[in-house]
Parts: sequence; structure tokens; C-alpha cells
Amino acid sequence: MSITRRKFLGWLGAATAGTTLGKTANAASNKHFGGYPKSMGVLFDNTRCIGCRKCEEGCNTVNELPAPDLPFDDLALLETKRRTTPKAYTIVNRYDTVSNVNVKGPLYRKVQCNHCLEPACASACFVRAFTKTPKGAVIYDASVCVGCRYCMIACPFEIPTYEYDKALEPRVMKCTLCYPRIVKGLLPGCIQACPTEALTFGKRTDLLKIARERISKFPDRYVDHIYGENEMGGTSWLYLSAVPFKEVGMREDLGITPAPNLTAGALSGVPIVVGLWPVLLTGIYAMSKRKEKIAKQETAEAVAAAVDQTNAEAKAKYAKEMEQVQKLKQKEIENAVKKALDEAAKAEAEDVSDTKPEEADKKPSEEDS
Amino acid sequence: MKKGKTRLSWTGIKLIVFTVSICLTATGIYGAKGPSESAAQKRADIVRIDAMQAFGKLERPPVTFLHQKHTEALATQNKDCSACHLVENNRLVPKFMRLKNTAKQEVMDIYHANCTACHQETAAAGQKSGPVVCGECHKDRPDLVSIWQTIGMDRSLHYRHSKAQNEKCERCHHQFDEVTKKLFHAEGKEGTCRYCHKDVTEENRLSLRLASHLACIDCHSKTLAKFDDAGPVTCGGCHDPAQQKLVEKLTVVPRMKRNQPDMVFVRSTKSGIKNSNPATRMPLVPFNHKAHENYNDTCRVCHHADLNACVQCHTLQGTKEGDQVTLEASMHRRNVNMSCLGCHDLNQRDPKCAGCHARIARARQQDPDACQACHMGDVTRVAESIQNTEEKDLVAGMLDSRNPVTHTFAESDIPENVEMKTLMNQYGPVKLPHRKIVQTLSGNIKDNMLARYYHRDENTLCQSCHHNSPVAKKPPGCASCHGRPFDERDPFKPGLMAAYHRQCMECHEAMGIEKPVATNCNACHQKKG
Repeated sequence: MSITRRKFLGWLGAATAGTTLGKTANAASNKHFGGYPKSMGVLFDNTRCIGCRKCEEGCNTVNELPAPDLPFDDLALLETKRRTTPKAYTIVNRYDTVSNVNVKGPLYRKVQCNHCLEPACASACFVRAFTKTPKGAVIYDASVCVGCRYCMIACPFEIPTYEYDKALEPRVMKCTLCYPRIVKGLLPGCIQACPTEALTFGKRTDLLKIARERISKFPDRYVDHIYGENEMGGTSWLYLSAVPFKEVGMREDLGITPAPNLTAGALSGVPIVVGLWPVLLTGIYAMSKRKEKIAKQETAEAVAAAVDQTNAEAKAKYAKEMEQVQKLKQKEIENAVKKALDEAAKAEAEDVSDTKPEEADKKPSEEDS
Repeated sequence: MKKGKTRLSWTGIKLIVFTVSICLTATGIYGAKGPSESAAQKRADIVRIDAMQAFGKLERPPVTFLHQKHTEALATQNKDCSACHLVENNRLVPKFMRLKNTAKQEVMDIYHANCTACHQETAAAGQKSGPVVCGECHKDRPDLVSIWQTIGMDRSLHYRHSKAQNEKCERCHHQFDEVTKKLFHAEGKEGTCRYCHKDVTEENRLSLRLASHLACIDCHSKTLAKFDDAGPVTCGGCHDPAQQKLVEKLTVVPRMKRNQPDMVFVRSTKSGIKNSNPATRMPLVPFNHKAHENYNDTCRVCHHADLNACVQCHTLQGTKEGDQVTLEASMHRRNVNMSCLGCHDLNQRDPKCAGCHARIARARQQDPDACQACHMGDVTRVAESIQNTEEKDLVAGMLDSRNPVTHTFAESDIPENVEMKTLMNQYGPVKLPHRKIVQTLSGNIKDNMLARYYHRDENTLCQSCHHNSPVAKKPPGCASCHGRPFDERDPFKPGLMAAYHRQCMECHEAMGIEKPVATNCNACHQKKG
């Protein structure tokens, strides 16, 4: 691991530039996406819906879905609140108690994929199985799907369903806005089947105009709101209602932020984490490694120096001590010599009186040596 | 008012006084619906005792008091209104056990001492009694739903009162003399109570609530003391929707006597017809006042502030008294029920009319051609001829000349059946009973003068279905205009299938025609053979 400081800073700079200057993906940015121009949509007007379930039948036919357990003209099914299934991309629910005095009968709600302008399912899918097409439809590619079903969790309208009963290659199933049909210029199955044009098909921009016109011409008939104009950043399906939307089972708590924006903050950190962090961490690792190495080296040197010094000092001390010892020895010898000489001198004097011949003998011999 | 209250004479005054007083003491009645659970008790006599609010912020939630429950309980103990209300100047004081609000502690003590004392006494006597613990009266969310409903004096009720009082208007109607500070009766100036008595009590002017409870209940109870039959004296008698329905209603009500005109030109200036400004000479509207009296329950539907002519406040340019609403707006504003057009619009909601009219988009203003339908009297000529003849006769003549008779084509010109064979896919053709439909529509409006007048042209009725096309005896078929659906270049026009279905279904729904059911395809479509 040998990274120079220059190299490291270079990598860091490149990684930062890459994450910030790279091409921004609209689906996950904070920029508002107003929908593809000329994209198609559907306006559902619940004051026109008679609850005949022809749309369900039309959907079933054109999508070649399996026949339902009960026939489509069995309206008793409306007694219960249903949801979409892998075998029914759209269903109609009935709501009996409604607050608008101008509404004489029950109201109905058609449930299907709303084809969000910025779909939550697409932003949650990490294999890009979902695509928002410029025509408006949000379509699904089963060939890349890994079956994680994040899309089902992400969808605020609880639309995608899963073929749980299929052992092999189960798919996520949802309304396609009859994409294969609309590219051919045909009407989606449900819209073609609706006898009252409770479903209006057209360019989303036109549909908004139509919806506003209906509200202004019949202010008593509608609540002054187009559901889907801004909900979750806007949807290709739009709704008009005679009563507040929550009375017909539609969520009013979704806000106007597109689903991708809700996760954009966290997800925008991903490139930094993925791109920048290895570089950063490697650098930090290398730096700490180098530091360790240097420290080790320095320690070794210090130890060696210390040992040398100690040795030298010890040597010097020893020499000094030896010298002192020598000196002392010398002194002792000198003293001993002196003493001996003194004694010899004394004995000589005593010899004169009381002679000590050995000593006297000795002394001259010593002096000789 | 014959509501089986006839044998209660012994409780008469007591009940009334009690009712009045408590109602007046508390200033709020639950107007809004409370908890809507079915378990909640429905009452028309809920009184919120929040008298302490006069002394600042309440320390505890106000007491929700059921007035009628107390009157009934006291009656069983042979107690009368004086159990709770004092008398001053021979009249019950509406406040509870006091003449006026003195001091905070004093008033609070009056409530606490008297309420709990009575509850304790009753309980001691072994009878069912009320609470004596703070929190049982001072409840934040009592489990009650108010069904209280306002009541007004409609023409029928007014006639029955005036008949019972031998047409002595002064028994109820009065005005206040600013100088003598006394009430007096101004003959010929009578109006509805609420012209003067407003929502809150002002100086020398009781609130409508106080005034009506004092006057109505006082009179009813005094009547009840003398006779077997009188008006209600309990809360529910007037304010319970179920009991309101029991109030006798005359089918034919004799006309009120207040010197109102029979037939009149709607004035456009205060000074009268002769001196009207020539610069604003819109032809005058002849108005059948007498007929319109029968179209409404009360005078105040139109005369919302007083019984004068509209132009007194709503001048051509608008005045401060008229809230700057001009004469034009006061007659033509469409979203209010006191203007001509607003009320005529409301009439279109009748199921007999709604089949066609619910589908017709409301324009911001009327078609200019429609002005002549009402504005017929040329000002100059009216002013001249009025000198020679009575205004009433002139108006009557004009109105008669309008000839409000519905015309339709001769029966032979109306096809009996129309078979619709276009768009056949899943089903066979549809046989439309065409003549029967036309006859039903014209039959529906034959008793309605307004409708007759506006449908006098033989084509008008046909146009509810044969719309947006030249008026003719043989109008173009639906498929002439309606074709492929969702044409980008004409996004507002429905396709043929939707045009058919919506035309039939929406009309049936608006008219309340239940059969054929919209989802029963084979009721209209023949089976494909």
C-alpha cells in the first residue's frame, strides 16, 4: 500500500466531480417533472359512473385475463370493497353514504393503476422493470424482474399485485393503460366499454381542461378538485367527484410530492457512498498504515540509539571506575610502600638497638626489586 | 299546536317560566351535531350553562343542561318554574335564581348551592336525582346529540295566530319609541320579528331568542291556564323536528292583510314610475305580487330586511343600506334565494324540472334575449298610461297578454316510437317511446305557471333532448353530431354511445325514475336475435 498524497488527492477530486457533475436522473432529482408532453391519460367522473362493471369486462377481454368466478353482470359483488388482483387489473367499488345532496344514488370508484408521472414503483425497482413511457403508460418488463416486490410496497395506491399462485416465474401484475393498444391508436379496454363516458380518454392536458370546464359549469355537482392533478406529483389518471375523495375511498393524505423525491435525498447519497467511500477509506487505511510503519521505524531507531548511548555511557563509567580503582590501587601500593619504607627505617633504627635482622634484610631486597 | 298538551294546565305557568328562564340564562345551544354515534341520546332541549363566561375564562367545562328533563321532573314533585326562577315585575326572570349577574363568586355559589341542594333533597326523598359531584355536571363531551331545529312563523302559522287573536296585530307586533322609551303599535307597519330582534341583545332591543321565548311562552302558558289548547311551552314543542311536523298546516292560507299590492311594476327608482331617469329606461317588469305570496312560506324569503319595495335599499347604483347590492343584482343574482332568478333557479331543482334542467350548465348570466321575458313595460308609455288607468289593471293586462300556455307540436307530428339501431354490437335495437316521453314532460309542467311561461314555444320542450341543433319539427338525429368518442379536436363532445346513455340515464336519475335500472341493459336494449 503505497499511495502518495498527490495520488490520493487526485482520486478524491475525481470521485467528487463524478458524483456531482454526472448526468442527473429526473426520476430521482428534486426537479419537478410535469409529465411527458402529449402523454395520454384518463379522466374518471364518478357523477357519470353507473356501476355496471363494463370496464372490468372490457379490461378482462382485451388483456386476455382468466374468466372471473362470477360473471361481470353480477353486481352483487359491489356489496364488498375489492382491490386489484393479478387476474383483474381494474375493479369498481360502490360507496352508499355520500354527503352531496345533489347525488341521488350511490357513487362508484374505479380502481386501477394511476400511471403516475413519476412512478413510485419505478423508483423503487432496482432492475428497472418499470418504465414510464412518453405515451403516459407505466409498463412492466417481466424479463428483468427479480420478484422483490418493492414496487408493491412503494405504490401509494396499492395497485401492483403478485402472482403468488404461480410456482415458476411469477410476475407483478397491474394495469398497463393498454399500452400495446394505445400505441396502435386503439382505446384502452375499459374506456372502450364504458357506456356513459364516465371514463374520458385523451391527452392529459386536454383532460385537465375538460375537468375544469365541468367543475365551472356544474359547481353544485362536483367538489372543486381534480384528483391526480398534483397528487403524488401528478398522475395520468384524473378524477372528478361529487363528494370529497376520501368518502369514495381515495387517499387524501398523499401530498403533492412525487414518490422519487421522497427518497431522492437518501438515494442521492448512494453514489457518494459507492464511489467516494472506497477511495476515501483506502486513503485513510493507507495513511494509517504508513503512520504505523514510520512509528515502528522510529521506535527501532530510538531503541538502537538508546542502547548505543547506554553502552557508551556504561563503557565510560567502567573506564572511569577502572581508572579510579587503579588509582586507589596505586595509592594503596604507594601507601604500602611508604609504610614499608617507614617500618624499614624504624627497624633499622631498632636494629641499632634491638635488631630485627629479617626485616632489615627484607627491606633492602624490596628496594632492590 | 294541538299536541295533546291539553291536560297539563296545572303545570302551565311553571313550565313556561322555567323553560324560558333557563333557555335565557345559558347563551349557547348546541347547533352543531356532536358525537354522531348512534348511542348518543338525541335531545332538542340541550342548554349550555356558560353564564360564568361573563366573568372571564371558564375554569371547568360548561354544564350541559337538559331543560325539559328538569321541567318534567319538577312537575312530578308539584314544583313550578319558581323552583328555579325569580319573578320581577310580574314576569319570570330568565336567569337561574337571581335577577342579574352580580359577582363571580356569588353567581357560582347560586348555581352550586341550589343545584346540588335540590339534587340532594330529591335523592334523600328516594327519587331519581341529578349529580352532586363536580365532574358529573361539568362534562367536556357529554354523550348527546342535539336535534334542535330553528322554528319560524310561516304563513299558515301566522294566519292561525292572527285568527286566534281576533286579528289584533298589536298583541305581538310593536315598535320601539326612542323618545318615550316605550313599545307602541304602528298600524300598517308590521313586519317579521327578526327585522328588529337580531342574534344578540342590544340596548333596548332583545335578541330574537330572548324575545321569542319571553313572548311566545308567556302567551302560550297564559292561554293554557285559561283554555285547553295552546301553543307549545316546552323546548321540544317548538324545536324538536318530529314535533314540528305535527304542527297543523293549512293547505289554503288566506292572504295576509298588510296593504301589499296585488299587481305592481317593479320600481327602478325611489321616486316612482313617473319621474324615473330617462337614461336608465329599462322596460319595467310587471309583477304579480299576489301570486308570488303563495309561492313562498314567508314574506321574508324576498323581503329579507324589511317590507318596503326592493328599490328602497337596492337602488340602481346601490346604497350603504342595501350593502351596495344594486337593483340589478338584487333581481338577477343566481346563487341566492331572495332574488328573482335565484328563486326561479331553485324551482328547477324540482324533479319534474330537473330531468332537463340539471343537465343545462348554469351560465354566468342570462341570454340577453331572455330579458324581454320579464322586462315588458316601456317606461314612458307606462308612465303615460298609468295616469289614465290603474297600475294594477295595466300590470294585469300585460301579464295576461303573456299567455303562459305550453305549446307542443300536434300529436300526429310527434313520432310515437323511435327505434335506435345504430351502434348495434352486443345488443339489439332500442325502442324509445318517444311520444309518451313528450307527453310526460308537458304534463309535468302544466300546473306550473313559471314553467308554462318559459316553455310556451312549441320547440322548447323538444330541446331538452334535441339540444344544440336547429329548432325544427324534424330535428337532426343524435348521430348527426355525436360520433366517434374522444376526438382531440372536439374534446368536449361525447361520443354517440355516451350521448345516448347519458341523455336517458341522467334524465331518469334526476327525475327520480327508478325503472329501468341503469345497469339493466336488457330493460332498454332488445336481445340480439
